[in-house]
Amino acid sequence: MKGLMDRLRLVDWRSWVPRIVAAVPVFFIILIPAFTTNEATLSMLILTGIWAIAAMGFSLILRTGQFSLGQAAFMAVGAYASAILTVKVGLPFWPSFILAGVISGLIALLVGLMVLRVGGIYFSIITLSLTEIIRIIAQQWEDVTRGARGLITAPPPTTDLGFFSINFAASSVPYYYFMLILVTLTGLVFWQIGRTRLGGTFFSMAANQILSEHQGVHLMKYRVIAFTLAGIFTGLAGSLYAHYLTVITPLVFGLWQSIQIMLMSIVGGIGSLVAGPIIGAVLLYVLGIYLSRLPVFGIQQLLFGAVVVLVLVFLPKGTGIIDLWPKFWRKVYHEVEEYEIPGEVKPDEE
Amino acid sequence: MPPPGIWIDGLVQSSIYITMAFGMVLVFSILGILNWTHGQYYMLGAIAVYYGVTAMGIPFPFSMILSGVIIAGLGVVVKKALIDRVSGDLYVGALTLALIFFFEGAASMLFGLQDKGLTQVLPGVLEVGAISISYQKLAVVIFTLVVMIAMYLVLNRTKIGLAIRAASQEPNAASLYGIRVDRVSLVVMGIGCALAAWAGCIMAPVYPVNPFIGRIPMIFSLLAIVIGGLGSLTGAIVGGIILGFLNSVIAYYISYYSEVVLFVLVVLILLVRPQGLFGASLK
Amino acid sequence: MKRQYGITVFLIVTAILFSTFALACGEQKAAQPQQTGPVVIKVGLPTALSGPAAPWGQAGIDYYNAWIDLFNKEGFKIGDKTYNFQLITVDDESTPEGGAAAAKQLIYSDGCKALAGHWTWNYPTVSAVSNAAKVLLFTRTGNEAVPGGVYDPKTQPYTVFANPSHQQYLSDCLALVKAYPNYKRIGILDSNLGKGIGWDYIDQSLDAAGIRYHHEWFPPATVDFTPYITKYAEAGCDIIYSGGDITSPMLVAKQRMEMGYKDWHVGHAGPFVDPAIYLAVCGYEAAQGFLGQYWCNWEFKDTKVNPKYITMCQEVEKMVNDKRGGKSYVYTGWIGWLPSHLLIYSQAMEKAGTVDDPDAIMKAIRGGTFDSTTGKWTMSGAKTYGSPVVFGCPGCICQIQGEKEVYLSESAMAPIP
Repeated sequence: MKGLMDRLRLVDWRSWVPRIVAAVPVFFIILIPAFTTNEATLSMLILTGIWAIAAMGFSLILRTGQFSLGQAAFMAVGAYASAILTVKVGLPFWPSFILAGVISGLIALLVGLMVLRVGGIYFSIITLSLTEIIRIIAQQWEDVTRGARGLITAPPPTTDLGFFSINFAASSVPYYYFMLILVTLTGLVFWQIGRTRLGGTFFSMAANQILSEHQGVHLMKYRVIAFTLAGIFTGLAGSLYAHYLTVITPLVFGLWQSIQIMLMSIVGGIGSLVAGPIIGAVLLYVLGIYLSRLPVFGIQQLLFGAVVVLVLVFLPKGTGIIDLWPKFWRKVYHEVEEYEIPGEVKPDEE
Repeated sequence: MPPPGIWIDGLVQSSIYITMAFGMVLVFSILGILNWTHGQYYMLGAIAVYYGVTAMGIPFPFSMILSGVIIAGLGVVVKKALIDRVSGDLYVGALTLALIFFFEGAASMLFGLQDKGLTQVLPGVLEVGAISISYQKLAVVIFTLVVMIAMYLVLNRTKIGLAIRAASQEPNAASLYGIRVDRVSLVVMGIGCALAAWAGCIMAPVYPVNPFIGRIPMIFSLLAIVIGGLGSLTGAIVGGIILGFLNSVIAYYISYYSEVVLFVLVVLILLVRPQGLFGASLK
Repeated sequence: MKRQYGITVFLIVTAILFSTFALACGEQKAAQPQQTGPVVIKVGLPTALSGPAAPWGQAGIDYYNAWIDLFNKEGFKIGDKTYNFQLITVDDESTPEGGAAAAKQLIYSDGCKALAGHWTWNYPTVSAVSNAAKVLLFTRTGNEAVPGGVYDPKTQPYTVFANPSHQQYLSDCLALVKAYPNYKRIGILDSNLGKGIGWDYIDQSLDAAGIRYHHEWFPPATVDFTPYITKYAEAGCDIIYSGGDITSPMLVAKQRMEMGYKDWHVGHAGPFVDPAIYLAVCGYEAAQGFLGQYWCNWEFKDTKVNPKYITMCQEVEKMVNDKRGGKSYVYTGWIGWLPSHLLIYSQAMEKAGTVDDPDAIMKAIRGGTFDSTTGKWTMSGAKTYGSPVVFGCPGCICQIQGEKEVYLSESAMAPIP
């Protein structure tokens, strides 16, 4: 018993308590379908997850210093690719899903190679134009995309796992777990990138382009890598979207959606590749859904804009909501400080 | 060769784009801010003039002047209270994008979603031979000419214009000469927003007024300044002219695809010659 | 620093509140204790309350609720139980995503047994949700849900097309041609979002009926119609009839006057929300003669409507007018929609003898004859749609004269093969 107490005392509670507190909602998130199988709620959460993946893609590209307004375009590419492959070409769901990500990544690669060498504001305007161009192609290329009528897709097939079967057609619960797995996968991949040398390189490019170029970082190569990775995962998210809604039309992914994805990422906190965009997507998308149920028209847009403006103005540059978490814990620990050296300047003093 | 009606239409469209693009590029070249909210000031100007004429009975020309002043004031407040507290291109961009939703939401709540019209202002059609043009559209063209001449005079012949040009070229040297650079930047913002608002006002009799009319002018003025060159005032005018005529002519011939042609054009220009027609070559 | 702390707390609290809401709203509303009196059947209305189609969506709500109140005074009976309707309205934003969300909310959160009055663009997503839940959907056909298009009677067995929009457009054109027998050509106006198999279908019907027409497609959000008016003039059109929204025909009306084409007639295939809007946006002169659909069943000449329903509709007009302090304009666009749908639904349930068995109710609907606010009709369309689930409605046109709309002409609808 005494040995245990000693060991407990050695544990660095300051780093563990926040993690445990953070793990609790994650645990609940995994268990949400046990509390509710309400279709409307699950639908909202699934779509939040899908947009969160797109927002994570935006953050990754932003890590290299580029501000892409084209994320909605890659969702469209992934969605249409997987819809066309299942409906017109007749491939089964899982290969189409993977191929959708591959195709989206390839297009990101090609586009990136052409477009990333013009940086800055020009890149943003080009990606914005591309989003619109892709929307218009989807609308006008009747033979392939059926234009504004859209394509009707089927849910993923029922998989039999012996003692129970995963039936996508019956309810949204399997989609919910599919979404969670995809979000986790994307999060893990991006987080790992952030921690490795690749991520460090990205960050140095964003921080000081000229210096990193002088240090031998081949800017273009890394920009394209980030852009392609973002494209792959965003394409997969788009494919899930198409098969969840079972309909894909050109109207869903346009320039305004790209802007919303960007805002989700910024509000969440662009310093973070994973948690930031997720929090941003949850806050803005869920807020949007609840506000749209109010009978007052326009309040949804007004508050959406207001929340973003507040975050940008009141939080220090470059931070978003996710950055409030460590600050919160520092405040907490500051208050349980056992002793203070008189005259010492406290670190959080401003 | 498209019929004369199309050319006149092109002229009218160009006029609108010129005014909008000029305001946007003024703010961009002098303040370094790409103001995505520019289109919303157009919409707010139109709504303000609508209320001025219908609810308060102020004659249209005075409503228009008043509306421009009010919206300019709004723009100045936005700059001082919000934009100045945020630094970095990305964040200013995100801020002005978020403000689009804010203003659209506010306008939706206050104005309603229904189209409203000001068609009673300047009714009638001028017929010259085979060509007819409504007085409202003629007013747009005349207005743009007046505004461009006024802008030229202000920027080149007045003290404040001199201050603006000095502050944009060399802010530090300018402040050494006693120019209050921060005051000047507020004036520039005010002028830019006033231009957008006046564009909205002069267009209010021509097209219906609703909270969403700011989106397309914003996109078109962005395309115009890209074509003309992001930092160039002359470029904005030329870009506006090209865009206006191109839009009408393309719609006449291949109406089905006209949307995509303009965006493809912009992408090509940005890839091949990012500085546009008149912009200075950047890094 | 303090400010940031305050904001932190505010945002964390907001996040917690929202998550609690998400979970709380997830639970089904507690089962209401069984009331004595009529049994309430919830009907959901996914409609455009925001976005460009909002004027049409919002216009009908007061009338629908008033009509249901009137209907509920008698209700309908199965056996010895009386049933009433309750309407729950949700904004579907006219988008596919919004439609799916609205349908899911109505079916799973609000417990609706049927969706009715639906007319927006998002038939595919709404029907995907409603058919999966075995909830009846009363809707219009729209561009997507045509034979060979999205509608498939095998995968969507619970859909009823109580307003066939293609046959409607044809009837409207026939009524126009009746009113203007010396017309030169009808110019059809629609945004290129509408282009597709639905319009091809209408074109075939127009050809078969011998109607001369010319199509123009414009990108959505176009406000400058000069190029299109020029092309209509070159094609020799003198009636411009739009299929889509209300802004584009209003602008065409205004701009064609400015371009010198004063003799043209302009209109849209939809009821007038309020002539005042047209007078304001087009200008008084340009709005004169503007054409629109007219569902004023007490003025129908060719179609016979049950007098009981005529009286009900007139009483609804009076109720809404009184509620609005006597200032309401006589809006008739609602008459052929939700009330017809609910009458079909209630009569089918009476025939089937059940309110809970969607298969039995659908069986009663297919091929059945129903009496509605726009006449008596037998469900047809077995050959065209694969299943006799299409109801009919007359084509009736009115035009703006002065500040009011005035009956112009009518064309009764023929049964669909």
